[in-house]
Amino acid sequence: MKFLPFVLLVAFAGQAQAQDLPLFDAHIHYSHDAVIQVPPEQAAKILREAGVTKALVSSSDDDGTQKLVAAAPEIVVPALRPYRRRGEIGSWMHDPTVIDYVEGRLARFEYKALGEFHAFGDDIETPVLQRMIALAKQHNLLLHAHSDADAVERIFKTWPDARVLWAHSGFDSPGKVRDMLRRHKQLWSDLAFRSDHASGKQVDEQWLAAFEEFPDRFMIGTDTFAPERWYYIKDHADYSRGWLASLPKPLAENIAYKNAEKMLGLLN
Amino acid sequence: MKRVFGLLCGVVVAFSAPQSGHAQNLILSQSEISAALSHGPWPLPKQDDPSNRMSGNAAAISLGKKLFSSKKLSADGTLNCASCHRPDAGFTDGVAQAMGHTRGDRNTQALYNLKYQRWFGWDGRNDNLWAQSLRPIVRVDEMALRTTDLSEVLTGEEFAAPYSALFGSPPQLSEQQNLVNVGKLLAAYIETLTTEKTPFDRFRDALAAGDEAAAAVYPEAAQRGFRIFAGKGKCNFCHTGALFSNGEFHDAGVPYFVAANRVDSGRHGGIKALMKNPYTLAGPYSDDPKKTGAWKTRQLIRSHNDFGTFRVPSLRNVGRTAPYMHNGSIATLEDVVHHYSNIDLERLHADGELILQPLHLTKRESADLVSFLLSLTEVDD
Repeated sequence: MKFLPFVLLVAFAGQAQAQDLPLFDAHIHYSHDAVIQVPPEQAAKILREAGVTKALVSSSDDDGTQKLVAAAPEIVVPALRPYRRRGEIGSWMHDPTVIDYVEGRLARFEYKALGEFHAFGDDIETPVLQRMIALAKQHNLLLHAHSDADAVERIFKTWPDARVLWAHSGFDSPGKVRDMLRRHKQLWSDLAFRSDHASGKQVDEQWLAAFEEFPDRFMIGTDTFAPERWYYIKDHADYSRGWLASLPKPLAENIAYKNAEKMLGLLN
Repeated sequence: MKRVFGLLCGVVVAFSAPQSGHAQNLILSQSEISAALSHGPWPLPKQDDPSNRMSGNAAAISLGKKLFSSKKLSADGTLNCASCHRPDAGFTDGVAQAMGHTRGDRNTQALYNLKYQRWFGWDGRNDNLWAQSLRPIVRVDEMALRTTDLSEVLTGEEFAAPYSALFGSPPQLSEQQNLVNVGKLLAAYIETLTTEKTPFDRFRDALAAGDEAAAAVYPEAAQRGFRIFAGKGKCNFCHTGALFSNGEFHDAGVPYFVAANRVDSGRHGGIKALMKNPYTLAGPYSDDPKKTGAWKTRQLIRSHNDFGTFRVPSLRNVGRTAPYMHNGSIATLEDVVHHYSNIDLERLHADGELILQPLHLTKRESADLVSFLLSLTEVDD
């Protein structure tokens, strides 16, 4: 019994550590309707209360991101989404006015990434996508791509030195994700809106193997695709801390925030 | 002249040409007839709930019916189950959000055919009917009865004898056990609330019997509506089977804010509650030693997609259960059809409910779909 206090102390310390684990949420949107229904100060409060210390934010339209930058400059890492409304997800690649919009925003504001954008297969070959990739190159921006593996390959074929964050890990299998990460040294994977990598605190075996093979490439994300999902950020953070706690501390910290910080060049 | 429609669901269905005197025609294709057959037969076979030993017990059903109408089950004696589940209004209340002691967040669901459900409530926070039935009694925003007061209610003149005959003396039982018992009595009664055959069922029966003349009585507008329902509308992807519901949870593109800074998390919250729920099929209050059906809760896998999803409602008697959707935000069936026909894809995840796409139905197509939906409602004799 004399060891009990020590055991309790260690257990408590471990729990506190898990609860305090900073999170870089690499998949946040703050779109036109969210701005109205979750005002910037409230959105910033949600992020802070969830212990989200950094967030890669892109919005349809970009005004949302700029408003959130103003409300939480210490948290928000701005990305430029090429949509003026979310409804452009399936049509933007055929709309040349998108480029005018993107160029206009790039001229006015600072960004770390272009995206999240939706493009599949040969969408990448369209003039709009090709121009956007050229703009990413010109401005040294990460590309946050909601794409299939084919489109990711085409991005790297277009620009071999691209840095790409693969949204949702392409909703692909852990085996395919590993294959893609092996092929491309500047490809990172976010785990947003997928639940197959961890059930409760239990990490899936195949995903664990992926995390262990590529400890510096994965990151978490909530994906606030509708305004209401801002109220899921805290639950998602809790879920993430839950399964990350089952990993070795260095790996957990990498996925929690360090990988995203390094990917975006935020570390001095 | 005979038209043979082929082998459908293991049954050779042959039809005679429409006979004179029938104003309508059978216009469905073989595959559409096959789809129609999948929505029956109705009624489903009778089945008792093994987790509730009061299920099918005549004395329990009678007592359950009395309890359903008793205002003694509410804290201030002003509410009963029938306050929201009005027997004269399809066992719902006709208002957008239920009004207990305070206004709730959700629409009151009708109580028909619940014994065939897998999950209960819009968020499925219960995996059995008796657990769902006891919930409104103690919720502070609904009937708000304290469990400590339940024994006194049950020892009152109205309930003491029949209750004691079924369970023993209330004061001898724990508060929780009395609450569970009341839930089981209510469930025994609610299990009896089933719907009768509808015009669609008679149409389907005629199709199954190969009686084209009888089938052709079903209005052409409703047939055209079914063609949309099972065709380009893909409504039968979720509204499956004889219940016209797969019993699971989906995002129908309906906003789920309930206040400026509060959302209804739907199935996400339902699963959270279910995991802490002592009244499950796997729990100690189930009367089934085999714990039949407990696997469904044990095997639940949580998903980010659960957030803001709600249980697919049965469409039986849908003509009597307005307003619609989890929050009663859509007033009429015509408006529901308009909602889906013009679904706002901005509300849905690009990799979420891929089945939902704007249909842009014409005015006539919308009217046809409504005609079909109304044919799922009992016709008063």
